[in-house]
Amino acid sequence: MVGRNMRSTLTVTAGLLASVVSAALLLAAASENPGKYFVLDNGLRVFLYEKRDLPLLHVVTGFDVGSKDETDETSGLVHLLEHCILFRGTSVRSGAEVSADIRRHGAYFNANTGQDLSLFEISLPAEHAEFALRNQKEILFGLDLSPTELDEEKDILLEEYNQMEDDPQRNAVDLVLQALFPGHPYGRSVYGRREVIRTATAEGVLGFYRKYFVADNCALAIVGDFATADMERLVRDVFGPLTKTGLSPATFPVALPLKKNVVQRFERDVEDGYLFIGFVAPDYNHADQYAMNVLAEVLGRGVNPLLPAQLQRERDSVQAVSMAYLALRFGGAAIVSIKMDPRDMPAIYRTAVGFLKQAHNEAYSKKDFMGEAEMSAFDYLESAKNQIRFAVGRAEESGLQLAGSLARHLLLNTRDKTGRYLDEIGKVDSSDLRKAAARYLGKGKYAAVSIVPRKGGIE
Amino acid sequence: MLTAWTAGPREMPWKERPEKFMLSTGLPCIYHRDKSSPTTVAGLFAAGGKSAVPMGFDGLAYLTTRLTLEIPDEGKVQDLMSQATRLSLFCSEDSSIVLIECLSENLERALRVGSEIIQDPLITGLRIGRVKEMMKLYGRAETDESPIAGRSAILKAFFGGNGYGTDVYGTEESLRAIDRKDALAYYRRFFTKPNLFFCIVTDFDKEPVRALLEKYFAKFPDGDAAGIAPAPPALPSNREIVLPKDTKQTYISRAFALPAPDAPNQAKGYLLETLLGKGPGSRLWRLRMAEKLAYNVDAHVTWTKSSGILEAYLETENAKSARASEALDGVLASLQDKGITDEELRTTRTMAKAQFLRATEGKAPRMRILGLFEVLGLGYGHLEGLFEAIDDVTLEDMNAYLRAALAPERALKVIIGPAGTGQTQGDR
Repeated sequence: MVGRNMRSTLTVTAGLLASVVSAALLLAAASENPGKYFVLDNGLRVFLYEKRDLPLLHVVTGFDVGSKDETDETSGLVHLLEHCILFRGTSVRSGAEVSADIRRHGAYFNANTGQDLSLFEISLPAEHAEFALRNQKEILFGLDLSPTELDEEKDILLEEYNQMEDDPQRNAVDLVLQALFPGHPYGRSVYGRREVIRTATAEGVLGFYRKYFVADNCALAIVGDFATADMERLVRDVFGPLTKTGLSPATFPVALPLKKNVVQRFERDVEDGYLFIGFVAPDYNHADQYAMNVLAEVLGRGVNPLLPAQLQRERDSVQAVSMAYLALRFGGAAIVSIKMDPRDMPAIYRTAVGFLKQAHNEAYSKKDFMGEAEMSAFDYLESAKNQIRFAVGRAEESGLQLAGSLARHLLLNTRDKTGRYLDEIGKVDSSDLRKAAARYLGKGKYAAVSIVPRKGGIE
Repeated sequence: MLTAWTAGPREMPWKERPEKFMLSTGLPCIYHRDKSSPTTVAGLFAAGGKSAVPMGFDGLAYLTTRLTLEIPDEGKVQDLMSQATRLSLFCSEDSSIVLIECLSENLERALRVGSEIIQDPLITGLRIGRVKEMMKLYGRAETDESPIAGRSAILKAFFGGNGYGTDVYGTEESLRAIDRKDALAYYRRFFTKPNLFFCIVTDFDKEPVRALLEKYFAKFPDGDAAGIAPAPPALPSNREIVLPKDTKQTYISRAFALPAPDAPNQAKGYLLETLLGKGPGSRLWRLRMAEKLAYNVDAHVTWTKSSGILEAYLETENAKSARASEALDGVLASLQDKGITDEELRTTRTMAKAQFLRATEGKAPRMRILGLFEVLGLGYGHLEGLFEAIDDVTLEDMNAYLRAALAPERALKVIIGPAGTGQTQGDR
């Protein structure tokens, strides 16, 4: 990941932002433009999607490796590898030469590491399609790393740690996820452990790299201004010669709900108070994912979500509330974030938890009312569905976002058949929301993290 | 067919050109058809913005514009919410923008409700009080992000305590000073025909859009064009601003005033921003990759009618801050002294054009850029014209621009971090 201006995010943030439109963006779009899916002989999965409104090309290459594949002894290596692959060059070109070539072709170039996946993206004028594919193939499958280069990249990575810890929102999300999945691979920070980074050797890093950065652990999504047949030929030509290794992706048990609440408080030099509350939620392939997406929209996203209204009734100082659903391969997280006057945090915390615990008793649709009440009731369910349609529409405008969603879907989806995303969302009814609220919020324990100025927060 | 638009010939990258027409109601409208999604974004640009805020009244433009979005009728609120229609605002340097975003199928209802409140806002003491409280919260939140706090400090330093230099969300004192008559006066001055225009990006055809805007936005009164003389930036006598903050990283920036944005100068400013701080291989990138002094490096230009304000900044570990500060000065001095080569200019042109296209791929950012160009006097056509203006910059032009713009005596320094960080030996 490349700095704040190009911050695509390590991790969590990307997952949270993308959650509403995640996977099945491709399915939403598929009705009019089905794209083309194929698998190379070496196991590399490919999806091509023509988007010809602008002369741009967006390529996202994903690998099924993330913090879930690390141990305490390797925690942070995937993130370190992400940096090395982007910036440290290959046996053919140095890192500086790669950067110069990227710039010469007008490319945006970035990557992010998450719990499940590592995604590498390049976006550039479509006239440079061949450069894009050959460049990505070379850096992703041809890393060459000297001890000196590794040490240089470690210094930069440790700067990123500092930046993350100065950013209350990124820091809090990372802490909530660690608390939410104790004993599970998702309980390791995607940023990793500083001591692992400091002591990593080039040999150790390359060993990890050679295991996971192979064609049969990879998916390629290409969106943009091209003709599918031409692009398929180019993909086969560039990526076809890669060798199949026979790597089987690791499987892990699905994350279980917390057994007891975890509440943590951290002091920082901040003006506002930041409260994050997380619950274990359905995984990427779970049938409840659609209800959970709509529920997150109704409670904490959308145009007029319920939770902010509830909290702002409690205290005027609440300035931002949101709820995000992060759907992972072996579990999921629903995370509420609240920014407020820190003096009000204890009251806001009590109200938020109380509301979420009782969310299964709410009326979400006009159909939950009878007679005159039905006429005057606000239909939160319908509003949320429209909001999701709007979000999907917006995502369709961005080729890079579309390619990222496609690459994620290729690697995370395990269902043989999935319906069109917006059709599945359309089927969610009010009782589905109450069931999801009861199952994941009402019965579930939570992990809460507050970041406050030197005094304040929850105890 | 893949067109070689980055290297010329100068071919329009968008399928359709934006256009401008006059509504029968007397308001101009910039329209860009884009069928990439079934959504619409419509902006109503009102002249003024921060430039119209007098000293001591920080936040007046934001507050007044925000009041135009207060919906008194619960039924209308529910109507908009159920359609997932969003009303929001931005307060920029030379304008404030009311934004309506919706699924295009709901455009008529969105415009109908929006038009009722925007043309006849309920400006009451109670509502003003509520918006002020919200603005205090927004203002406080900005101080938790060093690059935002840094930008605010830079604008304040260059423009003093009025106009562009005011806090967008106001201060405790300024919000206390603003009352209902101030908000009413601001609204009556700027929400008038000569001071307003629409900008809309949509999958809808032009004529239905025109008809809807004419039908629902016919009530804005005549008035006088605001005629605000844009205030030029002035480098303060104290050229170093230090904002203490107990963070693990120190934010260090250098800021320079650039010439007013006519087409050639805006293109040169955009090239400079790209050359310095945009992506791997930029001049500041060396501080990250070769010297390991920062994780985050960036450059940004804030455009006003009178100038561009360039910031070049990095965030670094506190212990490295003195070295990083010197290195940042070194990069800028080298660029100013030695200029760039023809090859670097070619590369920067390609990068700048591609970056601009990516930045305007979505409808909402494109609508804002179209409107911004119109407000700055470049005209909406600069969406396309920027490519040509970039191609027209010669090596001699660019190096002369760099020599003048980055002269060390014109630099403003801003440091945010623990006391004592970010200062070189000579600064202390």
